[in-house]
Amino acid sequence: MRISILFGGPAGTGPNILTNILGRTLVKQGYFVFYSRDYQSLIRGGHNFNVLTFSDKPIHSNESQVDILVALDKNTEEIHKHELKKKSFVLSGHDENMYYAGRLFKLLGLNFDLLEEEFKELGNRFKENMKEAKEGYDEEKDNLCALKYEKGDSVFMNGNQGLAEGAVKSGIDIYYAYPMTPATSLLGELAERQLEDNLLVLELENEIAVINAGIGSAITGAKTMIGTSGGGFDLMGEGLSLAGMAEIPLVIFLSQRPGPATGVATYTAQGDLNIARHSGHGEFNRVVLAPGDPKECQELTSQSFYLSQVFGIPSIIISDKHLGESFYTVTKKPKITPSRKLTSLTRYNSYEKDEEGSATEDAKIIVANIEARLKKKKEIDNDTKKFDRVKTHGKKNSKNVVVSWGSTKGAILDAIEDLDVEFLQVLYIEPFPQIKKDLEGKNIILVENSATGMLGEVIAEKTGIFIEDKNKILRYDGRPFLHDELKKEIEKRLKK
Amino acid sequence: MMNLNTKTKPTWCPGCYNFQILAGVKNTIAKSGLKKDDFALVTGIGCHAKIFDYLNLNGINTLHGRVLPTCLGVKIGNPNLNVLGFSGDGDAYAEGMAHLIHAARFNSNINYFVHNNQVFALTIGQPTPTTEVGFKDKTTPLGVKTYPINPIRIMLASGASFVARVFADVKQIEYILEEALKHKGFSFIEVIQPCLIFHKETYAQKFYSLDKTGYDKTNFDQAWKKAQEFDYNSVDEKTTIPLGIFYQVEKPVLEEQYPQLADLKKKKIGWKDIKR
Repeated sequence: MRISILFGGPAGTGPNILTNILGRTLVKQGYFVFYSRDYQSLIRGGHNFNVLTFSDKPIHSNESQVDILVALDKNTEEIHKHELKKKSFVLSGHDENMYYAGRLFKLLGLNFDLLEEEFKELGNRFKENMKEAKEGYDEEKDNLCALKYEKGDSVFMNGNQGLAEGAVKSGIDIYYAYPMTPATSLLGELAERQLEDNLLVLELENEIAVINAGIGSAITGAKTMIGTSGGGFDLMGEGLSLAGMAEIPLVIFLSQRPGPATGVATYTAQGDLNIARHSGHGEFNRVVLAPGDPKECQELTSQSFYLSQVFGIPSIIISDKHLGESFYTVTKKPKITPSRKLTSLTRYNSYEKDEEGSATEDAKIIVANIEARLKKKKEIDNDTKKFDRVKTHGKKNSKNVVVSWGSTKGAILDAIEDLDVEFLQVLYIEPFPQIKKDLEGKNIILVENSATGMLGEVIAEKTGIFIEDKNKILRYDGRPFLHDELKKEIEKRLKK
Repeated sequence: MMNLNTKTKPTWCPGCYNFQILAGVKNTIAKSGLKKDDFALVTGIGCHAKIFDYLNLNGINTLHGRVLPTCLGVKIGNPNLNVLGFSGDGDAYAEGMAHLIHAARFNSNINYFVHNNQVFALTIGQPTPTTEVGFKDKTTPLGVKTYPINPIRIMLASGASFVARVFADVKQIEYILEEALKHKGFSFIEVIQPCLIFHKETYAQKFYSLDKTGYDKTNFDQAWKKAQEFDYNSVDEKTTIPLGIFYQVEKPVLEEQYPQLADLKKKKIGWKDIKR
């Protein structure tokens, strides 16, 4: 069973609240839910939509066709009619969004009591919501399925909530940011939790201030994290270089959206792998970690804090809009890596420094400093071997292997379910895991939300293995991969 | 007596006014009754920043223009630290101008010195935002065409709660740092620090002390007028340059308004000491 529901309407009409209510209810009933958001860079009007897919088996992505279309305006019906199946249901023609909640619950065979529970949790507009929903519930005569009632203990969360959870579990003290989609929701998540979890969240005048304030706090020994998207990360470049030089523990969240420049502000992409790896002048240590779902967001955030503290390095977590803002059903508890605060206030310098922390131009000291940093690079590589720097999914030892990183994980997992292919998911971009043996002699297929397939470049650089252009499945329209379409693309490239 | 010296041999030019600033800062810290570890030092890039190498306090010699956000981060990291920030005029008024305005807005309890020699000295003599019209160097053979900004007025307009100007003289530095340490909030101190090589104007005989004129430093309108008395541009026999505190008022301090930070202050700890 796999049912897909599209909620569409102008911004401000509440498709999100509707999707959240249904999603939460289904997860509580033990179902697996995935929902992604497609919204424009505007406040009111336009056309926004969410696609919610659920199943009784684990799922991690959406598909190209919908079973139920909830159209909060005429425009939605028009835009999405080509995504309908022959037997799809279209719910439309009503102004109040909770009316649709009622109809949906009836259609899915969900008891009205469950909806009442949700309204109680919402608090405001309880009476009105109940009245509207009841009307819809009573009006709906069709029944698509009768959902079983088994209590689930899964958690329904998006990637940025995973990051917030991971940061708090890692003992974050301070978070600085300047608003930029799609990193902003982490700023909101942490800001809301700041008193309860005792941390400080502050919005500063620009990303340059953000990274430098981050450095200032980090040298006092505070566990400090900052967050931004590509454009803001560019502004942070010089500060990143300073964190590398002065060996400062700083966790940096980089949430990608399509670039270059302002690009497509509210959509998704994986085009910033190279800046995560190379931004900042000079040669210095960093780690770049790429989670692929909210559980990994929690785990890699804790590893990021651990590595930054142990080695005194900037630690970059690279995510994107699709992972950050899509809701996943998290069934297992994350494995949090604890970390101590190992930094104290001494004398830090943006210059090469002597034993007192003062600037130096002494050739011997310069060489010694650089060699100490190079030695640390090896230590980081060794130490990170204890983490899952790469994961394999799908059919073990298949001659076909899909390689990817980050948010494409979900669609790939769903796409390869019954295919003869192994999926190699890279979680550590830097230090890069040894994957040459896993790839040698295989039919390698690259999947990436970019136009150039940057992971392919990294693989070529690190292993000498080049992925053929015809084996690169690249999507660069700002939209995430859909598992059914992706499956077809992978199938075309499989070797028997 | 507290030892604030480092092993580094100063590389400022002989007789540089920066030595006066260094001595004044050292004397005040030594006399303050506070411990070395009660201070954090943040410096930018330029001649001024060499003070980091000659003043043995913890902190960071950071990037050009980024002294103030770094100071803010240090203060938030541990609100019990007395944060001393040092910048040059290039650092404060060119590369870091946005941060300067916002530092006044935040009003975090930071003491900030700008060594204004009206020139980029360490890069051998280019004009800064406070260089006078007509100034020439290798990069500006046609002469500077832009009128200098007035940092005192910018700070007043930005809502700074402590705005002062002194000359680079040991006694004046001692006095103003004592006052700044007492002040709760952002203390902006511009130090007129002539560069003996690239901007030799010392404004000799043109200074006078505001304190000796019965000046009311809580009167904004008066401060606004006084700030215009010297425009950083034209110097003739009539020029007079007021020194001292132009403006000082109590305003809400950033770190006192966040319960998380107020708690650290009360417990005399930083975030580092928070066990989770």
